[in-house]
Amino acid sequence: MSPRDILLQIAQVLTVLAFAPLLQGAIVQFEERVQRAQGPGILQPYRDLWKLFHKQIVAPQTASWIYWAAPVVAFTAMLTVPILIPVLTDFPLPLSDMGDILGGGLILTLGSFVIVLAGLDSGSAYGGIGSSRAVMVAILAEPTLILVFVGITLLAKAMLPFVVNHLLVGSPAVYWSPAHLFLVAAFFILLLVETDRLPIHSNTHIEVYMIEEARILEYSGPMLAVLKWASMMKQFILYTIFSNVLVLPWGLSHQGSALGTAASLAALLGKFLLVALVVVFVDTAQSRLRFYRYQEPLAASFLLAVLAIIGTQL
Amino acid sequence: MVGALLLVLVAAPALAALGCTAVRPGQAAALNLAASVVGFAAAVPLTVLSRGGPYHYWDGWVIFDGPGGWVVLCAAVVYLLSSIYAIGYMPLVGEDERLPSFYALFAGFALAILVSPLMNNAAIYWIAIELTTLVSTFLIAFERAAESIEAAWKYIVIVSTGISLALFGTVLFYWNGSFLLGPTYNMTWDALRQAAPGMNPTLAVLAFLLVLVGYGTKVGLAPMHTWLPDAHSESPAPISAMLSGALLNAAMLGIVRYLAIADATKAGALPRLALVALGALSLLIAALFIVRQHSIKRLMAYSSVEHMGVIALGFGFGGPFGVAGALYHMLNHSLNKSLMFFGAGNMMRSYGSKEIADIRAVPQRFPVQAALWLAGAAAITGAPPFGLFLSELVVLRAGFERSFAWAAYVMAVLLIVVFIGFLSHFRAMYFDPVADAGASAPMRSPGGWCVAPMVLALMPILVFGLWWPQPMWEFFRETAALLSGAGR
Amino acid sequence: MLPAPLDPLASSLFSLTAIATLLLAFVMLGSRWLDNYLYAFAAQSWAIAALGAAVGYFAQAPDLYLIAALTALFRGLVLPYLIWRMIRRLQIARELHETLRPASALVVGALAVIFSLFVSHALAGPLGLGGTVAILALTVMMATVLIGFLMLAIRTEAVSQIFGLLVLENGVRLGAQILIPGMPLLIELVILADVLAAVACLGVLVRYLLTQFGTASTAGLKRLVG
Repeated sequence: MSPRDILLQIAQVLTVLAFAPLLQGAIVQFEERVQRAQGPGILQPYRDLWKLFHKQIVAPQTASWIYWAAPVVAFTAMLTVPILIPVLTDFPLPLSDMGDILGGGLILTLGSFVIVLAGLDSGSAYGGIGSSRAVMVAILAEPTLILVFVGITLLAKAMLPFVVNHLLVGSPAVYWSPAHLFLVAAFFILLLVETDRLPIHSNTHIEVYMIEEARILEYSGPMLAVLKWASMMKQFILYTIFSNVLVLPWGLSHQGSALGTAASLAALLGKFLLVALVVVFVDTAQSRLRFYRYQEPLAASFLLAVLAIIGTQL
Repeated sequence: MVGALLLVLVAAPALAALGCTAVRPGQAAALNLAASVVGFAAAVPLTVLSRGGPYHYWDGWVIFDGPGGWVVLCAAVVYLLSSIYAIGYMPLVGEDERLPSFYALFAGFALAILVSPLMNNAAIYWIAIELTTLVSTFLIAFERAAESIEAAWKYIVIVSTGISLALFGTVLFYWNGSFLLGPTYNMTWDALRQAAPGMNPTLAVLAFLLVLVGYGTKVGLAPMHTWLPDAHSESPAPISAMLSGALLNAAMLGIVRYLAIADATKAGALPRLALVALGALSLLIAALFIVRQHSIKRLMAYSSVEHMGVIALGFGFGGPFGVAGALYHMLNHSLNKSLMFFGAGNMMRSYGSKEIADIRAVPQRFPVQAALWLAGAAAITGAPPFGLFLSELVVLRAGFERSFAWAAYVMAVLLIVVFIGFLSHFRAMYFDPVADAGASAPMRSPGGWCVAPMVLALMPILVFGLWWPQPMWEFFRETAALLSGAGR
Repeated sequence: MLPAPLDPLASSLFSLTAIATLLLAFVMLGSRWLDNYLYAFAAQSWAIAALGAAVGYFAQAPDLYLIAALTALFRGLVLPYLIWRMIRRLQIARELHETLRPASALVVGALAVIFSLFVSHALAGPLGLGGTVAILALTVMMATVLIGFLMLAIRTEAVSQIFGLLVLENGVRLGAQILIPGMPLLIELVILADVLAAVACLGVLVRYLLTQFGTASTAGLKRLVG
């Protein structure tokens, strides 16, 4: 509980807060570049957030307290999760035992859940469609997410992400075991789904494709900024879990010194670059699936998670 | 002596199969007939001689013992009768230029069936059964009609799947034995029996159940029987007789041998109970389908399912009565089913239809055949004074003695149901008034070659129903002792 | 024949190839395209051959190299070639009528794998083999057999049913390689030849189906009922 550890913990949360828009901007820029367009620039999300904070709030008359509470709850949830996972350091920081892997997943889901409620709350048709589709995807994806977490737990025989990180760094046999590889594949598919990438979501703003955009249609001004920031932070957090816990567990600070922390931040951004490249590639190479075929990649992910769990037993 | 006879038994169909590919149709039929006569002539003394104890030949790869010898006898008898019948029947099918290949396949099929009971190694036995499947598929599809090809497809897919399961069971048995006999050993039936007391019971039960389901598919035990009505009804009549009378017995032998091994392990009563349960289920399903049947050959096929159920019950009950009843039933069923299929084939060709509803006034049209066929129908439903009555009675008695009374009651009730259902079809065919009396087209009468085998099949059934020879009883008792081994 | 306990390299190698086999079976289950079945089956046969070679290496049994090579050659090349010729003669390239959607089939397959795990734990416990490669072998063997069954049950194309049968056989082969590597060479060879003969016969029957019905889909085989 030294002051340095508390500072590091705050630094983790601030990292997520500050660099989430950068990640989003980088992904969008890469996609545009891959499609041979100019791209809006990496810092565009910052500019968008700045613009939104200076706009007026226009709220629907039928909005209830959920409308006002949802962005706050979502934002707070996204601020809570970085406390639990290894972002900058590979040793547990104060309050990181507040929740384990499963707890972290639940808090993430809570954030999505309140936004779903907010989409229903305004009573508009688009909000309803967006929420119902989001819930349908969640029904398919959440059990798989739980199974992936169970697989990670069985792999490391502990529920803390830090233990998993140490195990994967220390033992190449476990890193290259089929259980771990399948978990990575399953989580990758879930990553695509949860961060609104193809083949489930689409980036265009045409109505029929809207899932993410439909839920937050009624928001404006600072509330919208908070919501967008929350979803960018969710993406950042998922990437962090994917990189630091599963795929690229190296490069975290061991001692917690300032230099080490800065280096681990740079390493974090480098890892995200790699993952973002892969995600952009996968995104560009696919087209959107029909609604009734959403279950196919998710069934494959479910299967891989089950195989991973089997693999931990064998 | 036994070795020489075995060689003759195997060489005759083999040479016929090779020879038939190179001769004209008329000669092919004669060649096949000659092979079947030679085979039968070799099989009868072999069966008598098999009482002298298991003979091993060819460095232990070939075994000739009581149960194997009995199955060989049944197969040889059916082969002979079918070959005689085929001479008269196959020209009616109208595929004369393809007949040499038919007879070559026929002889090859008989060869595979005759060889499989002789195989000492469980894996080689499996391969022999698989070969019978492959050869018989083309026999079923011989007529190249839509239904035949459908039947052949269902046959090969379902039976191959079952046989793959049997391979799974064989692998598990080998693994179970390898704990005692080391990683490499010759998996003969004896070796497995020797190792059985030390085998792990759970694994042995699993392996036996897999083998039961696997070979049970081939035998036609319900609920794996779904291929049987299709295959037996769509193939040409001589092949139906071979399938019903010879092949099912050969596959049953595998189950019986594995059951003997399972008994010697500490697996308890579950293997026997499973066999009895499948037998009872076969009887039930066959009875239900016989009552509501509309096609004559499918009726006979379901009757095969029923009788295989009875045989399964007999072997499942075990003990001297159970085994004796089951073995006796094997022979009686082979003879009787051949008779029934021959009659059905004749009726089909004469009336031009497979439906029972189209076959009417049989005694008026074909008096001699009608008498033979009706006698066969009475026999196959278990009426005295025919052989099946005796064998079914012995099986029932075994059930009561071996504390499977529930199964014996079920069997008795279902046999009555089958009796009523089966014979009601015959009553309709024989004694129902014809709708358009007198306005029927002239019917082709089946030739002598088609009727003679029916007579030849009926005589022994009648004899066996009235007289159970003492040597046969001794044979059954020894075989029962052989199968149960010293562990009982 | 395999030393127990296995050294970690052997264990992870067996694990990898066995689970790759299972994964390829799932690829077959989750796809609609006949070509995918073909490639997945060929890859699966090669994986099983690799497994056989690994078993031969760690059990110091040179016989198994020969069997592995023959498996790779016959199950991995000749069989896929035969079936490729069959597929080329067909008019269609994918399953048209599906009884169970591929996604749902994947889930059912996953349940089959879980079931197999329970069964093999229940078996290996009394045998005292808990924690050895036997559990892996039994699980993957049973799961592949069940997946082969599933494919046979839910597919209507004749070629897909042939693949289901072959997957079933592959599963038994896989288990036999790990559990009973000492099976006499002769038996292995004869079983291999038998599989080839079976596929050849199935091929001829598919040709009959095509000639008679114009399609190799078994969905139309409904004449024989009752």
